[in-house]
Amino acid sequence: MSVLIEILPSRRGQVVVKRGNVPVLPECGRPTLPGVISERSCAFYGARWMLAAIPDVIHLVHGPAGCAYYGSTVRRKSYRIFSTQLVERDIIFGAGAKLYQAVLEACALDPHACAVLVYATCGTGLIGEDLLAVCNRAARKVNRPVVPVNAPGFCGRSQAAGHDIAARVLLDYFIGTGEAREPVDNGVNVLGEFDVQGDLDEIDALLKQLGLKLICAFSGRASVSAMAGAHRARLNIVHCQRTGHLLAEGMQDRFGIPYLKVSFFGLEETASAVRSIARFFGTTGGKEVIEEGIRNARKAVTPFLPKLAGKRVALFFGASRMGSMARAFAELGMDVVMIGSQFGCREDYQDAEAKIKDGAVLIDDAPEKDLEEFISERRPHLMVGGTKEKYLAHKLGVPFLVFPQEMSPFAGFRGFINLAREAAGLVSAPVWRMAWPKCYLALQAKES
Amino acid sequence: MRLKEIPIDGIPYDRLKITKIPAAPEYVPRDPELVPAANRVVVVNPNRICMPIGAMWAVLGVHRAIPFVQGAQGCTTYARYTFCRIFKEPATIATASFHEDAAVFGGRKNLAEGIRNLVVRYWPEVIGVVTTCSSEIMGDDMVGFLKEARAGLIKEIGEAKTDETTIVLINTPSFAGSHVDGYDRAARAFVEALATTGDAPADRVNIIPGMLYPGDIREIKHLLREMGVEATVLFDISETLDAPLEPPQEIPYYPPGGTHVTEIKQMANARATFALQPDAGGSGAHYLERKFGVPAVVGPVPIGIANTDTFLQNLSRITGRKIPASLRTERGRLVDAMADTFHHTMMKRVAIFGDPDAIAGVTRFVCELGMTPVAVAAGTPSKNFAREIDSIFAEYQDLFLATPKVFNGGDLFEFEEYLKTLPRLDLIIGHSKGVDIARELEVPLVRVGFPIYDRFGYQKRPVVGYRGAELLLYEIANEILDYRYPDDRTQQL
Repeated sequence: MSVLIEILPSRRGQVVVKRGNVPVLPECGRPTLPGVISERSCAFYGARWMLAAIPDVIHLVHGPAGCAYYGSTVRRKSYRIFSTQLVERDIIFGAGAKLYQAVLEACALDPHACAVLVYATCGTGLIGEDLLAVCNRAARKVNRPVVPVNAPGFCGRSQAAGHDIAARVLLDYFIGTGEAREPVDNGVNVLGEFDVQGDLDEIDALLKQLGLKLICAFSGRASVSAMAGAHRARLNIVHCQRTGHLLAEGMQDRFGIPYLKVSFFGLEETASAVRSIARFFGTTGGKEVIEEGIRNARKAVTPFLPKLAGKRVALFFGASRMGSMARAFAELGMDVVMIGSQFGCREDYQDAEAKIKDGAVLIDDAPEKDLEEFISERRPHLMVGGTKEKYLAHKLGVPFLVFPQEMSPFAGFRGFINLAREAAGLVSAPVWRMAWPKCYLALQAKES
Repeated sequence: MRLKEIPIDGIPYDRLKITKIPAAPEYVPRDPELVPAANRVVVVNPNRICMPIGAMWAVLGVHRAIPFVQGAQGCTTYARYTFCRIFKEPATIATASFHEDAAVFGGRKNLAEGIRNLVVRYWPEVIGVVTTCSSEIMGDDMVGFLKEARAGLIKEIGEAKTDETTIVLINTPSFAGSHVDGYDRAARAFVEALATTGDAPADRVNIIPGMLYPGDIREIKHLLREMGVEATVLFDISETLDAPLEPPQEIPYYPPGGTHVTEIKQMANARATFALQPDAGGSGAHYLERKFGVPAVVGPVPIGIANTDTFLQNLSRITGRKIPASLRTERGRLVDAMADTFHHTMMKRVAIFGDPDAIAGVTRFVCELGMTPVAVAAGTPSKNFAREIDSIFAEYQDLFLATPKVFNGGDLFEFEEYLKTLPRLDLIIGHSKGVDIARELEVPLVRVGFPIYDRFGYQKRPVVGYRGAELLLYEIANEILDYRYPDDRTQQL
């Protein structure tokens, strides 16, 4: 089956085209080929992505200054970061003593911190530092948890490994460490939600409308005390399945909290999310919330729809948002021609496959070259993905929407309006009329 | 002073910028013993990045070159992300994609397979192989591996095709230095691997600009053009990291420009090598001097009047060309601007941080403007920097009330805590990592240096040369006006 783009033979199977009713899924979970311009990142990155937003702990990177530097910016926010800044001597003779000292000093500088998170890096992973032993020793001294996050960059296939390691850390050291008290009647946790540009506010507003109380959001709005009381929730709402799934399973095992996998991107997805949450709590208000939200959103997006109708859109991002975002773009009247992710799992692709049309390409772990070829061959009207892919798409003359988003929340009914507005703005931006001189415009018209 | 007040709601003020969740009941002063970076092993908010990124920056300045990072994916992705954010350009950097197997068995397979995949997909003219912490700790025999990789390529695509790609190895274990050292090592690795004598000496000079932005390199080229001097700029990112948007593009997409391999080969025949930043590129110049007798002129970076004068005088001395009237006019315009703004810049208290070479230049310039540096912090420790700062302070001693504090190495936490102990500042000059400090102190931040990712256009606007200094001066003066003067006084200018 022709895929239209040339890929390395060893990546065969990772790119497929949907045809008819025969379900095809790209192979996933394979290690990245050496020598490609990979869009994936490392486990350390994944762990930082999960844990960076926890405010009242010390984040200590046990590695060279570079890793600490990179780890200080996560999701366009800047965080204070501590580091042991390993030098050659430490690599040769080991840096356990240095780490111990660093924990003590960090706690002296930040006496209110409730815990210390110690991140391993490639360097410490390779020299075989016994992180756990040092952390335990330091914990006794500073009298608060000192927690190893053993996610050196080379472990796992991608940043997803780091997400899992971070989730384990949260489960083992933080979640439900508070007193065993009665569950909060209307209490919920949101798992796998990182509050990018205020997404969490939108979700929280919906929950409030249903009369629910958000106890803790992992980890967009998590603190040590909030996490300690997270076991008192009645329900866990899993937003990003990739990062939230492990937490949800763990909390179900330990505290018997049931979970719901939902998505708040797109009208239908949000509606079904609200519906299932309301059903769980037996709330009656769900119907009105949905009707009002959809009515207002439909009205607000009307002016944007003509600009978007029939436009081709290619999606490439994290993992589990593939399906719901594909549906959201379909609701805008757009034609999803490609859907791909850096580290999606089988379920993610199944979910996504069900939501796209015939002829659309499914691609796993696309390196830059594949995206480049796809963009020039299929010429989507809009590409959605991360910052790294953005500027390449621009050079090839394709407008780009950054997701996780750069400007306004996309979650919830109101977020959908933002999505429509931004997509319409980008697709019809005057700059692209100027970027393509007339002779090429004629060519483009012939193709489409 | 507002800073010294205990903030409302029991939020310690150093937490305010991170999040609004109260983290503690009250503010506790720092242990003064632990504030200086020299007194502790823990580093808070490092003021430097890792070696590989400096080497990657360099390789991206070579024509049709792709850096190949012998490490885990994060080593590539973080750097690509950083470049994208700074330059708003795609950055094509390949990864050897280390996983557990590589960590156990070494990176031999990854390198051979990676080079092969990169070559057959991109046909690059140059591959800069950049090592990382992991490959260095594992002790990858990179020279041997590269030989094997080449042999494999010859078997597959033939010798002629293989020879079209030049491979340069740059050893950059991150724990041994900062991005500044990484660039330096790349400069040396490239001239060592490529520069050869043979032809008659050319009437050219070499420029190794250091980690300067595309706008700066364009300004340097402008100065050279005005002087009528032909030059090879090693690691010319002025076009590769500032490419026009002109679809349709051929794929694989390569940005235009960059230093050609043939030019780098010719560097051994030049009249002299100007390494504008002693710590970033200096060792490349020294190598050319030792090996081929090409005189090395190392530093200072041409920021401000005196440094630009020095650069042009050196250029004139070596090439025998006179400094043209046009450049004198540019100088005159800058001096005029300095005279016009002097009453606003004079005696203003400024703190400067960043990479050693660049901030030495900036420090000299602010002294020329009659400002008073109160603290100067270099993220990468450097002897050149210490010497240069000493000579600047000796020269401008009469302007200072107190000797400025110099941090040679150290982190941003130490810098911030020191600034908090001072009377109110007027200005901070540094890169984007200082935004939090500037907000905390409620002082404007003038962005200079690497990296600047939170504003547009800074990578295109020069700070070097007379024209660059003029632009920098205007920004400094305007920030002071915005911050320091009430509307009715700024409107009367």
